Amino acid sequence: MSRPDWIVLVVTLVGIIVYGLFKSRTSKNLDGYFLGDRSVPWYIVLLSIMGTQASAVTFLSAPGQAYTDGMRFVQYYFGLPIAMVVLCITFVPVFRRLKIYTAYEFLEKRFDVKTRTLTSFLFLVQRGLSTGISISAPSIILSSLLGWDILWTNVFMGGLLVVYTVTGGAKAVAYTQQLQLIVVFAGMFMAGYMVVHLLPQDVGFFDALHVGGKAGKLNVITTGFKENGFSWNDRYNLLSGVIGGFFLALSYFGTDQSQVGRYLTAKSESESRLGLLMNGLVKVPMQFLILLLGVLVFAFYKYHKEPVFFNQSQLKVLENSKYKDSLSLLKDEYDKTEILKMKEMGLIATVGKNSDGYKEAQSILQSVENRKESMRGTIKRWLNDKEVNGDSNDTNYIFLRFVVDYLPKGLVGLLIAVIFLAAWGSIAAALNSLASATIVDFHKRFSKKELSPEKEYVLSKWYTLLWGIFCVIVAQLAYNIGNSLIEAVNVLGSLFYGVILGVFLVAFYMKKISGNAVFISAVIIELLVIAIHVLNQKGIVNLSFLWLNVVGAVGVVLLSWALNLVLLKPVYNKSGQ
Amino acid sequence: MDTKDEEKVPLFKNWNYWYALVIGFLIVLIIFLDFFTKHFS
Repeated sequence: MSRPDWIVLVVTLVGIIVYGLFKSRTSKNLDGYFLGDRSVPWYIVLLSIMGTQASAVTFLSAPGQAYTDGMRFVQYYFGLPIAMVVLCITFVPVFRRLKIYTAYEFLEKRFDVKTRTLTSFLFLVQRGLSTGISISAPSIILSSLLGWDILWTNVFMGGLLVVYTVTGGAKAVAYTQQLQLIVVFAGMFMAGYMVVHLLPQDVGFFDALHVGGKAGKLNVITTGFKENGFSWNDRYNLLSGVIGGFFLALSYFGTDQSQVGRYLTAKSESESRLGLLMNGLVKVPMQFLILLLGVLVFAFYKYHKEPVFFNQSQLKVLENSKYKDSLSLLKDEYDKTEILKMKEMGLIATVGKNSDGYKEAQSILQSVENRKESMRGTIKRWLNDKEVNGDSNDTNYIFLRFVVDYLPKGLVGLLIAVIFLAAWGSIAAALNSLASATIVDFHKRFSKKELSPEKEYVLSKWYTLLWGIFCVIVAQLAYNIGNSLIEAVNVLGSLFYGVILGVFLVAFYMKKISGNAVFISAVIIELLVIAIHVLNQKGIVNLSFLWLNVVGAVGVVLLSWALNLVLLKPVYNKSGQ
Repeated sequence: MDTKDEEKVPLFKNWNYWYALVIGFLIVLIIFLDFFTKHFS
């Protein structure tokens, strides 16, 4: 990175930390530390919700995903607006009325202490590990791309934000997320502008869209129906997006403390609702635009030399392997193919669409693309060789490779800062929620000593710090262990979310079901979900992970109802619910 | 902090209008995106 890039990066990051410290003043009790004294306006709640959900990988991975697989990933968010409505009708009024700190407190009021403890524990395990991965994933990419030391990248990615998160709690988290998102959107918008600006003079925005469309990258809506009917293992389509996405969003926003803790900071129930509903309005268009950036980068590389593999550190791995000579030959052939591609693209821009020259150039381009795809496939095969043990997925490197290679000085620094800030937003909210669940659901709940508000406040700060250290350690372990841990943690969320949502749905909608029935059902269905996942891994069943959320939630609801009806005598809690 | 202000719904008469707006917007968006897909494919 150049000196201007470093200046922009350092000034942006230090600015955010100072702003976070400036916004740190709250009452010295749990209400102040975890709920910002319930004083936050709806637009800060909205930005806080968005900043918590959008991690660094969202901004790195989504453009890369559009580049390789097209824009159909946007359908994953179609269930989110519906989930926001259900949350506003059911979850928000109850959480606000009970004046709880964590979502799991509600489960004790409705069922019993064991259900609360189980769900809170599952949250701590899942969120603690996934926050470590949220630090590790962008750190690995940045250290690989810029040659930074991985330990220090992890420390800066996960450690600096601890300064204002420990000091200011939820309020500092919410207000810094506001500023972070403004910088993130400004950076992404400038990157989008630069992609179009860097296209050849006679190629405009809509031409770029047509290039992407012809290559099948603008496949925003897909039905999932193939020759043999509906494909259940197709990850992103209209049906899985609306139904699976709805269950996933409902469980994430309704039962994950990292999100519940954000909208509980609102100064009234109306402000909580408004923040969530606005999220329902803006989320899909926002994801659409981020993915569109990937399609524009795809079009850009049709007129410029496209790297044979975007993660260049992996090419170095191959250069030090038995494939060294083969790689050299492949690179030479690839370069010739790229020259031919750019020549034909230039020809297409100058000749008429109905001319023979146009059709001939199109046909040559098609064969060039097939050849390139085959060469990329060869590189991936070499990287997957057990002797090489490389990483054959370069999707997350596509956007940043473009940034580093083509954007002007200063803007590169801003885009690197965007990655840090996006990571900080979600990590800070996670640390705050991990600390709140630890102290409220465990320390305070099971401690025999009565703690003063000041003591609880100080302890909360310590727990935030300890979780911060834990997550940085997990991030470093993730790097050492490799992709297997990252994949395992990503799956972990999908395995638990559905069941936890099922427990909450029973709590809200099925007033006569007892704690024992729902607890047993949760354990049985959790085992079922894990069994389906194992069968999926072995190729015996084919079910996309989004459907696991549906199986978990619907399974717990139905089994609780059946168990309550057949096996167990209804038991009502003290409040008579 | 929960006061009578809770009952006050911004812009509309009640929250149902807000819910209809969010769902309606989603439907319009899906139709637009379907058109977008077909137009550029």
